Amino acid sequence: MNSFIRFLNSSIGRKYVMAVTGLSLTLFLLVHMAGNLTIYAGNEAFNEYADLLESNPLLPLAEAGLLGLFVVHVLFAVLLTGKNKTSRTDRYQANLGMGAKTVASTTMWITGPVLLVFLIIHIWDFRISKELMKEYDLAQMVVDRLRHPVGFMIYSGAIAMVGLHMWHAFQSAFQTLGVAHPRYRALIQNTGRLITVLLVAGFGGIPFYLFFTG
Amino acid sequence: MIQKKNHGDLRIVLEVWRQNGPGAPGAFEEHEVMANEHMSFLELLDVLNEQLVESGKEPFVFEHDCREGICGSCAMTIDGKPHGPRDRTTACQLHMREYRNGDRVRVEPWRANAFPVVKDLMTDRSAFDRIQQAGGYVSINTGSAPDAHAIPVNKENADMAFDAAACIGCGACVAACPNASAMLFTSAKLSQYTLLPQGQPERDQRALAMVDQMDAEGFGNCTNHYECEAACPKGISVTNIARMNREYARATLRRRN
Repeated sequence: MNSFIRFLNSSIGRKYVMAVTGLSLTLFLLVHMAGNLTIYAGNEAFNEYADLLESNPLLPLAEAGLLGLFVVHVLFAVLLTGKNKTSRTDRYQANLGMGAKTVASTTMWITGPVLLVFLIIHIWDFRISKELMKEYDLAQMVVDRLRHPVGFMIYSGAIAMVGLHMWHAFQSAFQTLGVAHPRYRALIQNTGRLITVLLVAGFGGIPFYLFFTG
Repeated sequence: MIQKKNHGDLRIVLEVWRQNGPGAPGAFEEHEVMANEHMSFLELLDVLNEQLVESGKEPFVFEHDCREGICGSCAMTIDGKPHGPRDRTTACQLHMREYRNGDRVRVEPWRANAFPVVKDLMTDRSAFDRIQQAGGYVSINTGSAPDAHAIPVNKENADMAFDAAACIGCGACVAACPNASAMLFTSAKLSQYTLLPQGQPERDQRALAMVDQMDAEGFGNCTNHYECEAACPKGISVTNIARMNREYARATLRRRN
């Protein structure tokens, strides 16, 4: 068997795939979040930024890459979680716990699928639906979506899920990749927390801003 | 007969897992035992078993050997914690002074599909032996003993290798892991050789073989909760897991077949 295929069939290889795709998606989220902030400068600034992105001929390529990252991340999560959930079919009667695990670490397999559902809603809202329109004002679509109570709830809830998922994910990815020198442990953990806070504040501020100023 | 209560005596209500064999249905059995604070947890189970034998009932099966915290035989989950509530302590070194009079204590086996229950608290941990056999060895020349310090070893590496070698293979890491993963054990066994010059000839082959065997045994995958490190009676660090991940990736890149 090809050594690469063997790697992808092993526990550690699959974890590597999760870590690499996860960190790539984190990078994407940071860029996405920075772009979203243009809405604070007004609808026009946001639409200008959107135009700039959409007029880039490399956009379809970037979108395909992004889709690939998500699909692989989800697929390998299903493979890994499937094995984890069948490795102990006789469960403990007492509550198992040493106090090291966190709410974030134990809910990765829940926040993940919830985010996938959100992603489908989100892509429908701002990517697929505009393909069906002749003319659209993206900023106005965002404002309408987030000023609606249901939209506000979905988007702010999803961002809370992103925060919970990311709180565990960043340092976990580095541990999986084998970067865990005691000297860098605190640095990696704090960087992960900082990125999580930035993402939650950056993404999450927008629905609150639009909903409560509207 | 009125029994006079001695200083340090405790009345403990034990709920112990009773299971007749692998796959058989199991249940807790409740027994009251008079303990003394100087007893170890295993001695408490000895007292319980004596009571059971005297009254014509079947004693509980549990594993034990050295009773001084170094053999890794005793394996039981006490109130949801492998080896009980005391940090870095095996069940045999856990003393009843950790408990108070009237405490109710639940004892169950390690629970992992790769560690099937043999009977009561005893599990079959031979999966660990097979992981060790897959690569936990070094090629050495037998014959007369080599000169001390003939091979220079960096002090930091020697210390890290020694810390990894402190693993007693009890399985508490698997028992504590939400995914029943054996990565802390496997990484400790791999690290103790990888960090030393004597371990270099089989370095890549070892990483591949031990991880593949670990996967084949049906353990779960590590999701970095670090419960294993907290449960380990020898305080084996999860940096060993990071090392194993690196070693496995390195060996994959270097393999020729």
